[in-house]
Amino acid sequence: MRNRSNFLIPAILSLALLQMLPFPARAGDQEFHSLVERMSAYYQKRPMRFMGWLDFIANRFTPHGVSHFQMVIFDDIDSSRTPPSEDFESSLASLVGPSYQPFVRVQEVRSGEWTCIYTRESGKERFEMLIVSIDATDAVLMKMQLTPGALRKWVDEPVKRGRDSREEARQAEVN
Amino acid sequence: MDVSCKKIRTSALMTLFGVMLAGTFSLTTFGEDPRLDIKNLEALSKKASEVVDVNLDGPLLKLASKFMTDEDDREGLEVIKNLKGVYVKSFTFEKPSDYTPADVEAIRSQLQAPAWSRIVSVRDKREGETTEIYLMTEREGGKVLGMAIIDAEPTELTVVNIVGPVDIDKLSQLEGKMGIPRLGEQTKEQKPAGHHEKP
Repeated sequence: MRNRSNFLIPAILSLALLQMLPFPARAGDQEFHSLVERMSAYYQKRPMRFMGWLDFIANRFTPHGVSHFQMVIFDDIDSSRTPPSEDFESSLASLVGPSYQPFVRVQEVRSGEWTCIYTRESGKERFEMLIVSIDATDAVLMKMQLTPGALRKWVDEPVKRGRDSREEARQAEVN
Repeated sequence: MDVSCKKIRTSALMTLFGVMLAGTFSLTTFGEDPRLDIKNLEALSKKASEVVDVNLDGPLLKLASKFMTDEDDREGLEVIKNLKGVYVKSFTFEKPSDYTPADVEAIRSQLQAPAWSRIVSVRDKREGETTEIYLMTEREGGKVLGMAIIDAEPTELTVVNIVGPVDIDKLSQLEGKMGIPRLGEQTKEQKPAGHHEKP
């Protein structure tokens, strides 16, 4: 019992401290934060809590060549606010901003799930990837930095990796 | 400004306008733009269970080639370094009857002679698979401007549009990469040497 409380008290304290931090400090860079704010305004919903903690853990387990991983999840979104499929791409592009280049888009027609992947160059020999996955109930936003080698894997297998990202976004929602 | 100067300037402007107009016509009216309007296939999206789009152009394509520095990449780099873009649209269907050959007409209608030539057409009756490769070449000089691949399987349809000069003999370097499907041994065998089949 004593051992258990020895572990629990610091864990609870660190979680409480984490939640006291302002959102940008938890969620990463300012640009990502403003994108989250735009999504938040669009869906009139705040993202799930504890994401800063998840980012901290995820950054320790990212695959080789991937770093600066950030993620937010908007759960129970109002699906009526999701744009119709013919306007979806342009609506999302305006939300994401012009600096990102659309790379892969996976649309699962029955479930109405969309996964859009954008990239851009970020400094010397680094690339940024932004993954937006939206279905009827949730929206997941992921941003990460890739080395040229990691980007190369995406260029070689964009369809497979796009599908994998959709699965990863699903897993993130479930967890 | 005297009258002769004005005349020279007006005629120079008219010539420039004429050249620009001719340039526009040569690219659009005579169909020498190898970029296909893949959006024409949007109607198929409603019948599909999954739709995947890949856009690999501009800075991303340049960056991809910039970092192909391995010895194994040399041939691949030769193929992609001059390309302007690779666009792939792939549909997956639940049942073979979910799409018909007529649905592909929206794309096939853009691949008309004289701008486009069908250079490969393979039909595997047993597997129900059809692969067509089209090439757009410059009217004078015969330089390749772009390529289109239609790969139709019973439950999968993939349209690939490669914009820029591509060597048909080196196409195999791109198979299975950048969203381009593997075209199979049969297709390779049928690649003609100088024979162009008009659609």
